[in-house]
Amino acid sequence: MSTHDDSVTSRIGEFTRDAVRNGWTRERCVVLLSLGLLLFGVVAPSFQIYLFTEFLIIALFALAFNLLYGYTGLLSFGHAMFLAGGSYGLAIFLQESEPYVSNVVGAGPAPLVSWVLGAVFAVSLVIAMAVPIGWLSVRLEEIYFALITLAFGMLVYSVIIQNPQGLTAGSDGINVLLGVTEIGGAEFRLGDRQIYYYLTLGIVGASTYGIWRIVNSPFGTICKSIRESPERAAALGVDVRFHRWMTFIVSAAFVGIAGVLIAGLSNVASPYHAHWSESATAVVATVIGGATYFAGPIIGAFVYLYARWGISRYPALEAHWEFFMGVLIILVVLYFKVGAAGGLYMLRTWLLDVQAAYRRGGANAAVGFVRESATNKLRRDSDASESDTGGVER
Amino acid sequence: MTVVLQTDGLTRQFGQLTAVDGVSLEIDDEEVTSIIGPNGAGKTTFYNLLTGVLEPTSGAIRLRSDGELREITDDPPHEVARRGLSRSYQITNVFEGLTVRENLRVARIAREGRTLDFRSRAGSNEAANEQIDWLLELTNLAEYADTECDELSHGEKRKVEIALALAIEPTVFLLDEPTAGMNPTETRKIVSLIHRLNDEIDATFVVTEHDMDVVTDISDRIVVLADGAVLAEGEPAEVLADERVTEAYLGSEAL
Repeated sequence: MSTHDDSVTSRIGEFTRDAVRNGWTRERCVVLLSLGLLLFGVVAPSFQIYLFTEFLIIALFALAFNLLYGYTGLLSFGHAMFLAGGSYGLAIFLQESEPYVSNVVGAGPAPLVSWVLGAVFAVSLVIAMAVPIGWLSVRLEEIYFALITLAFGMLVYSVIIQNPQGLTAGSDGINVLLGVTEIGGAEFRLGDRQIYYYLTLGIVGASTYGIWRIVNSPFGTICKSIRESPERAAALGVDVRFHRWMTFIVSAAFVGIAGVLIAGLSNVASPYHAHWSESATAVVATVIGGATYFAGPIIGAFVYLYARWGISRYPALEAHWEFFMGVLIILVVLYFKVGAAGGLYMLRTWLLDVQAAYRRGGANAAVGFVRESATNKLRRDSDASESDTGGVER
Repeated sequence: MTVVLQTDGLTRQFGQLTAVDGVSLEIDDEEVTSIIGPNGAGKTTFYNLLTGVLEPTSGAIRLRSDGELREITDDPPHEVARRGLSRSYQITNVFEGLTVRENLRVARIAREGRTLDFRSRAGSNEAANEQIDWLLELTNLAEYADTECDELSHGEKRKVEIALALAIEPTVFLLDEPTAGMNPTETRKIVSLIHRLNDEIDATFVVTEHDMDVVTDISDRIVVLADGAVLAEGEPAEVLADERVTEAYLGSEAL
């Protein structure tokens, strides 16, 4: 074992050195991205902050979904039930217990304390849902797994609509109002767009880091092996069903966090969040972005939400926005088999090659390289399409 | 001599067909045993029974673990692997999208029972890394350590196939057609690899193989299966001279 210093201060020092060093280190990208995200909440117009907050939440939803899909190879078509579980967990907790919390901690900090307790309750509720649902679902694989999760999702949806014991308020949903918190004379409203943006940014950032650590841990390595060959993983001593079950629960818990956040953003826990079309949002965002890349679902969520927003600005198009989304998905599936993240990665490699050509032989070499790679690409594509159409002999 | 694997009247029926018919065998830890037989003799079914992929209709399987023979008849595949019975596949079955090193890491994580470790980083366990490097050297895969398996040639993949099964430190190692689909050069390489592994690794090798030159080269003992039952067993020269064995092969494989 190498003897490197593991104390927090030395780590921060190391990080800072890497960040200010020449060249585009990963540390520098992280610092600049964080600064940009922090600044965004100050300078951006209110609606843009709202839209970006929604993007962050959907990104977390898709990222957690992809833990099960891209990393473990199980396509869940009912993950919206955990989004709803998080939303309703928070909403029901706030509705039922805010007065009690207020009695204990006083009226000032009550909204914030209730929200924190409500979030913990909501995620616990989601885990309590995921344990039995996952246990039953992981008995199946492939399309059967997709169908059983879809069925559970619809079950949760219909329970919410039925309004059992008056808990879920049926199709109206439950309003989630994050009131004014007062601590030590300072007053703020948690539901304020700017404050809610920073809250979401912090939680989504921490969750993303958590998921990133999980996929790079021994646990995540086993997930990937199950995706590649469940039979072989079992032959090496991996309890495949148990591991899938654990991944299901972890994935659901992170979706629950996204559910808590979406309830606060839209000010309502709505049955819409449990609908299968909401599950499809995670699937579509992940496919657009590329399931094989960690950042794929994030990029996919970005493309999905901003494409929808762009379309919605033109009333003539808005009525048919699903049509344009369909066209977008067809394009991605046909031409970017690795998704937008894969496309960006290829573009980056290509730009680096162009840069290298420029360094070698100036502008002429760079132009030459661009021309050559473009013709190669076209030739490859036409070759591929010919062999696709029945492998014509030449 | 110590018996490490024992089957007792092992039988498996599929409807009317008896694929494995009352096989009673004892595998000794000092010998390389080859299981041969014409196509359809029940070799693959026999392996699937041993490794828990299929459940036997009747009979028992015992494996030596922690110094005594224990029954593993009803254990699922992952339990069988944890008890020390490992296998390779006739049709290459490796983690295609992962690098060779990551493939072996999966096996080490499973072996060390760290599958639920969320906190540490994969590849940070020095002892496991040393073990993996040693295996990579042993199987001549070091130069491909960081190559994804789907970019390897068939011959290299077959080596990963073997390295993976060895990485869980098995007591008994079942090789299913290790030279399947290989040209003569690659076959020779695999045969010398098997010799080397048998010298260096403390596991008992059981091999199924269709190439008779390979069989006579590597085995100390041969078991012939025909129609799911043991037709003959013993030393290679003796078994291959047996008329019934020739008949079983010619009878079903004459062109």
